[in-house]
Amino acid sequence: MLKRLYRWLDLRIGVGEIVEKELTGYLLPRNINEWYSLGSVLLVIFALQVITGMLLMIYYVPDADKAFKSVTFIMNEVPFGWLIRLCHAVGSNMMVAVLILHMLSTLLMGSYKAPRELNWVTGFTLLALVQGISLTGYLAPWSQLSFWATTVATNSASAVPVVGPYLVEFLRGGKLVGPPTLGRFFALHAAVLPVVIAALIGAHLFLLKRTGISAPPFGREGTANPFEAQQYHYQGHPGGIPFFPNYALQDLSSISIYFAIFLAVVFFWPGMPFTPDAFVPADPFKTPAHIKPEWYFLANYQTLKIFPSELLGLSVQAAAMTFLALLPFIDRSPERHPLKRPVFLTLVIAGILLWIALSVWGHLS
Amino acid sequence: MENEGRRKFLGVCVAGATAAAAVAAGYPVFRYLAPRSGQGGAAKLVIPAGELKEGDAKFFEFAGSSAVLIKTKSGELVALSAVCTHLGCIVQWVKEKQQFQCPCHGGQFSTDGTVLGGPPPRPLAKIPLTVTEGNITIG
Ligand code: FES
Repeated sequence: MLKRLYRWLDLRIGVGEIVEKELTGYLLPRNINEWYSLGSVLLVIFALQVITGMLLMIYYVPDADKAFKSVTFIMNEVPFGWLIRLCHAVGSNMMVAVLILHMLSTLLMGSYKAPRELNWVTGFTLLALVQGISLTGYLAPWSQLSFWATTVATNSASAVPVVGPYLVEFLRGGKLVGPPTLGRFFALHAAVLPVVIAALIGAHLFLLKRTGISAPPFGREGTANPFEAQQYHYQGHPGGIPFFPNYALQDLSSISIYFAIFLAVVFFWPGMPFTPDAFVPADPFKTPAHIKPEWYFLANYQTLKIFPSELLGLSVQAAAMTFLALLPFIDRSPERHPLKRPVFLTLVIAGILLWIALSVWGHLS
Repeated sequence: MENEGRRKFLGVCVAGATAAAAVAAGYPVFRYLAPRSGQGGAAKLVIPAGELKEGDAKFFEFAGSSAVLIKTKSGELVALSAVCTHLGCIVQWVKEKQQFQCPCHGGQFSTDGTVLGGPPPRPLAKIPLTVTEGNITIG
């Protein structure tokens, strides 16, 4: 039955050729490792966020008077509403976490280097956009947590010289966070950012297809034909392993492991994405004590607190982000093995430790 | 040969696990989307008798659908489904003529729901009602 359908399609649109080119005949480096499957995991997470987001939209009302109630309704009344919402909330946290791991593996294996600068830049932009979509989605439930986290986050824009105060007002659609903020954040969260992110994912994958998979700098001997800077060159891997079924199985097992962790959090730690303030409707006249952003913004939050002036804190962050974004243009040596790049490795580890330290500090203070 | 059998077995396992996962994910989504039962009005409704003048009609929601209560000129009380039996529009009460008219294709019904003219194939469904101490209980 399936075979006949396949034959039928093949006769008409030549599926066989695509399967040959993209699946069975698409060869990956022989020494490819598990870390390379994180991209597929991220694709699955994104798809899940889109689906659960669409489902939530059926009952969610993006109106300051009704948002909190509608979320409560989803959690308590709609059959399995809690499951859909938890998947969406936990999924957003997991997306950031897996994204960070994906970037760390790229960093340590030196895959960002020429000719893959564009892959890195699009990936880095995706990280920024995912942070943006998390931030705008955070406001949606219109709880005390949403309200004040957004107040604090938008407020940091006021440090920008000259236009700062105006910028804050523009972001919020008013002097304070209020119904107009919910409207614009919801539009960004549910319409603008998903489309932009999907487009960038497309670009990211397109670039990946054009440059070819980079072989890991360690493990079994590589099979790559090296890049010469003179002309366009697709890095093929003759004698490598086929994507289907070999690496597809690796992708599948990574996705299964991801789901095991994801569902464990959803079912056994449902409070993970929430603090008690998430269960109180927003009250613009009462700031709760200890208002803190989500874990992946804690380092930024703490940096802002350390520096004597907000402008300085913001500039340091901007500089760090720009440095990371432009890394492939700064680090130009072709050596990719992490152990043969001691300075780089030290910097990466120091950077990670600094980030963790800042986050923990921000969490505790 | 042994390899072949092992491959088949694993294939069946994967297919089974995938099917189980699809059901486990699909059932909550189905329930989430399914219309919520017990919504849209109670199955019993009490209306104070004084609310209705002779010759008037009162529309209300009953068991998730539209219904109408009329008091005829002779003082008789009738409760009917207000959904036209033709294509499902909601009938209107024409007080002057003391009959129902469907705005969609001109169906006409008498006060007890029988078809007087137009395309509707069946009379309007009757809803039982009881009157006790000035209260009309419908359903
Ligand atoms: S629906 Fe009432 S006459 Fe057609």
